[in-house]
Amino acid sequence: MQKNNKIIHVLILMCTIFFSLMAYLTYFQLFTGKKMESNAFNRRQQLKEDDTKRGDIYDRNGVVLAESTNIKGKWQRKYPYGSLYSHVIGYNSEIYGRALIEQKYNSYLLDINELKSVMGISNSLLKGEKVGNNLYLTIDNKLQKLANELLGAKKGAVVAMNPKTGEILAMVSKPGFDPNNSALTEKWKELVDSEDSPFLPRAVQGLYAPGSTFKVAVAALALEQDMEDIVFDDKGIINIDGKNFSNSNKKAYGKLGLEKALVVSSNVAFSQIGVKLGEKNLRDMANRIGMEKSISFDIPLSKSVFPYESMEKTDMAAVAIGQGKMLVTPLHMAMLASSIGNNGVMMKPILVSRVVDAEGKELKKWNPEKLGNTFTADTTKKVKNMMVKVVKEGTGRSAAVKGITVAGKTGTAENEQTINGANKEHAWFIGFAPAENPQIAVAVIVEYSGGSGGTISAPIAGKIMKDYLDR
Amino acid sequence: MMKLLSLKRPVNMLVLANILAFGLLYYYKKPYDKMVLIEGLIVTGLICLSYFFIIKKNMGDGYLFLVVSMLSSLGVLMIYRLDQDRGFKQILWLVIGIGLFFMSYYLYGKVKIKDKLMFYYYAASIFLFMTTLVIGSSINGSRNWILIGGYSFQPSEIIKILFVLTIACYFKNSEQIIFNSKSVNLKWKLDNTKIISKIAFFLMVYSYIGFLVMQREWGTALLLFLIFFMVLYVFDNDIKLLLLNGAIAAIGGIGGYFFVHHIKIRVQMWLDPWADIAGKGYQITQSMFAISAGGFFGRGIGLGDPYLIPEVKTDFIFSAICEEMGVFGGIAVILLYFLLVYRGFKIALYIKDLFKKTVALGITLMFGFQTFIIIGGVIKLIPLTGITLPFISYGGSSLVSGFIALGILQALSKECYSGEEDVSDAEEQ
Repeated sequence: MQKNNKIIHVLILMCTIFFSLMAYLTYFQLFTGKKMESNAFNRRQQLKEDDTKRGDIYDRNGVVLAESTNIKGKWQRKYPYGSLYSHVIGYNSEIYGRALIEQKYNSYLLDINELKSVMGISNSLLKGEKVGNNLYLTIDNKLQKLANELLGAKKGAVVAMNPKTGEILAMVSKPGFDPNNSALTEKWKELVDSEDSPFLPRAVQGLYAPGSTFKVAVAALALEQDMEDIVFDDKGIINIDGKNFSNSNKKAYGKLGLEKALVVSSNVAFSQIGVKLGEKNLRDMANRIGMEKSISFDIPLSKSVFPYESMEKTDMAAVAIGQGKMLVTPLHMAMLASSIGNNGVMMKPILVSRVVDAEGKELKKWNPEKLGNTFTADTTKKVKNMMVKVVKEGTGRSAAVKGITVAGKTGTAENEQTINGANKEHAWFIGFAPAENPQIAVAVIVEYSGGSGGTISAPIAGKIMKDYLDR
Repeated sequence: MMKLLSLKRPVNMLVLANILAFGLLYYYKKPYDKMVLIEGLIVTGLICLSYFFIIKKNMGDGYLFLVVSMLSSLGVLMIYRLDQDRGFKQILWLVIGIGLFFMSYYLYGKVKIKDKLMFYYYAASIFLFMTTLVIGSSINGSRNWILIGGYSFQPSEIIKILFVLTIACYFKNSEQIIFNSKSVNLKWKLDNTKIISKIAFFLMVYSYIGFLVMQREWGTALLLFLIFFMVLYVFDNDIKLLLLNGAIAAIGGIGGYFFVHHIKIRVQMWLDPWADIAGKGYQITQSMFAISAGGFFGRGIGLGDPYLIPEVKTDFIFSAICEEMGVFGGIAVILLYFLLVYRGFKIALYIKDLFKKTVALGITLMFGFQTFIIIGGVIKLIPLTGITLPFISYGGSSLVSGFIALGILQALSKECYSGEEDVSDAEEQ
C-alpha cells in the first residue's frame, strides 16, 4: 500500500528528529557544557560555594595563609596575614569575585572536577560535608614577612626564588591591600581610585626599564661573542650617533676591560658594547632570556617587552645599558639572575607546589621544569665571577653578607619621570648566593626611589639572602 | 509468583523505577517527607490497577499506557520535587486523566458516526477559540486560558484533538452530517479530489492556525501545521499542493520573523542568547546552565538547583530532568517518547480504514512533534516556542488532553489488533 510507504517515510523523519535531539544533547554536554559553569549568571557556582568549605592555602612549611571558617552556617574566607599576601593569593569575595591564586585555583579549592562535573557524580553521595582541596605554596612565610618589612612603605617589589628549581620563596608587591572581606568591601572604592595602583601585583605585572641590571645579560652575550679582552677608554661620556651616553655622575674610569666595566657599571663601555654586538645578537639574546615571551605561571604574569621593529645604533646602545623601550617584570629579572646562577638554565617559576585533599591525600604535584637555556655554562661561570666582584668591590657592596659570597648587579633605571629632570630613578638589584652553589636568587625594585640600586635595593637583597642562608 | 516479580514483565520495570525514584527523592529531601512515599504509592498503585484492567479487558496495545505511565510518574515526581502543592495537584490531574483515558476509549467505541462529524468538530473548535478570545485571560503574555471556577483551562489542548479528527474526516472522503434532526437531514458529500473541497479544507486548516497565531500560541500553531503537512504528504498524492503548503508556511515563517516582534526575538535568542543574558535570553541560558550542571549522570533527584530556571514546571521541565538525572536520563525520556511514537506508527500502519489511519497518525504525530518542539527548544536545538512536554509538564489541560488522545489511540489499537478491523497480517499482540 502506497500510503503505508509514505507513513514509513514519516516514521523515518521522526527517527531523525528524535535522534537529532539525543545527538545534540550529547554534543552540548561534551563540548559546550563545561563553559557554562563559570558564567556570572549561573548561580549554581555561588550556591555550591556557599555550602562548600573552600580549601586552605599554606606556605611551604604548613603555615596557614588563607583559611575558611564557618560563621553561623556560612563559610568565611580569612587571611591571617592581611595585606602580606594580597599580591600572591589575591582575594575571594562574594561581591568582587576572585583574583590571583584564589581565581586560578578555584576549581581545586572548591573541588570542582571537570570530569566529575561532566559525569555529574555528586560528591555529597560519598561525603556528608562538601570540602575543597588545600594548596601548598612554595612561599616561605618567614622570608615573605622579612621582605615585606624591608620594603616597608616604599613602592616596589621583591622576588626571591630558588634558582635551581624555580620555586618562589618570597614575592612582595607594594602597596598591597587587606584582602579580608570586610576590609575589602570597606576600602574597595578608595583602592580602585588610588593613584598608587594598590591592585597591581608589581612583581608579576609591573613593567620597568631594567637599567644596569640588564648589563649582566649583555656581558654574557659579549663573552659569547669573544669580547672578553676588549678594552675601552672611559672618559665618563660618549656620543653615539649624536646622542650622549654618560656614566652615573659622569665619572670617568679611564682604561677598563669587560669585568671592570660591569663592576663599576660603566655606561660608556656598555653602550659601545651594544653597538658592537649589533641588532641580530641583541635580538637573539633578548629572545633567549624570554623577552616578548608569555611564560606560564600560577598567577597572571605580564610579558617583558622588547618593542623594536628595527634598531638604530642609539637603540643598541640604550638596550645594552638597560634603557630604551625595553621593559621587564621583577619576576623576570629574578629568573634572569637565577639562570646565571644555575649554569645558564632558566627554570619555570613555580608558586603552587601541591594540591592536597581534605584527608591529606596528594592530588597533584608540580615538579621543577626547565624553560630553556639563556647562556652556556661556561659563559655564566665567568659572568658569575664578575657579579661576585660587583658585590665585593663595585656598586653592589651593600648587598654583601659576611661569610657568604654574593653575586649581584645593581641598577638605577631612568624612567618617564626622570626625563623631566626629576630625581625619581627606579632602584634595582638582582643577585644570588652563595655564588659557588646558589640557593637563593633575588630581584628587588624600589620604584621612583630617587636613589641608586646600590644604596636602596642592594641592602634589602643582602638581608633577605642572609636570613635565608643563615637558617 | 516468580513470574509476577520478573523484570521481564514491563509493568514490574515501571514499579521498580518508581520505587527507586520516589525512594531516592524521599532519601535526599531533607527534612524527610513521608508524603513523597505516599504519593509514590498512590501513583504506582493507580497505574498498576489501570494496567491490569487494560490487560484483563483486552484493550489492545499494552505498551501505550505503560510508556505514558512511566512519563507521567516522572512528571509527578519532578513537579513534586519542585513544588509540593503543584505536585499534589498534578496527582489529582493524573487521576482525572486516567479516568478520561478510559472514558475516551469507551466513547470512541460507542460513537459509530465519528467519521461523519467534521463540521461538528470544526464548530466545537471555533466555539472554543471564540470563547477564549471573548472571555479568555492571559497568562504569560498569551491570551489562551479560560478560567472556570478558579481553575484555568487551556482550550487549545482540546482543539489539537479536534483538529486531528477534522482532518481525518476529510481524508476519509465520506458523507458529512451538517445538520441532522427529524425535520432536516443535511449532508455534504466530501470529495477530496475536487478542487472546491480542497479549498474549503485548507481554509479550515488555516483558520485553526490563524486563531492560534492570534492567541500567540506559536508552538501549537507550528505543531498543527506539521501534523497537517505530514498527513497531507501521506494521504494526498498531489505533490504540487504539498509544495504550495510548504511555501505558504515558509513565507509565513519568514514574514513572522520580520514583522512579528515576538517571533523575531525567539529566533534571535536562539541564535545568540548570550547577547541579552540578563533579559530575553535569561530563560534559555538558565536552561542550558541546568543541563550542563547535570552532566551525563545527573546531580541526583532533589540535589540540583533546577528551580533557578523560570517556568521550570511547565515548558522547561525537561531541563530539570537533565540536571538531576543527567543527559542519560534525558535520553531515556526521549527514547520513551520514541517508543510511544513507534507504537503509534505501528497502529497507523496496520489499520485499514482511512479515518482511523489518519486519526492514529495524527495523534502519533501530535505526541512526536510536540515532544520535539519543546525539547528541541529548551536544549536550544531549535528556537523556543512555549508548549508543554506531553504527560510530564505541570498542567491539567495538557495532561488531560494527552490522556484523551491516548484513549483514542488505545481504542484504535484494540480495533486493529483484535480483528475488529479487517486485519489479516496484524497478528502481533
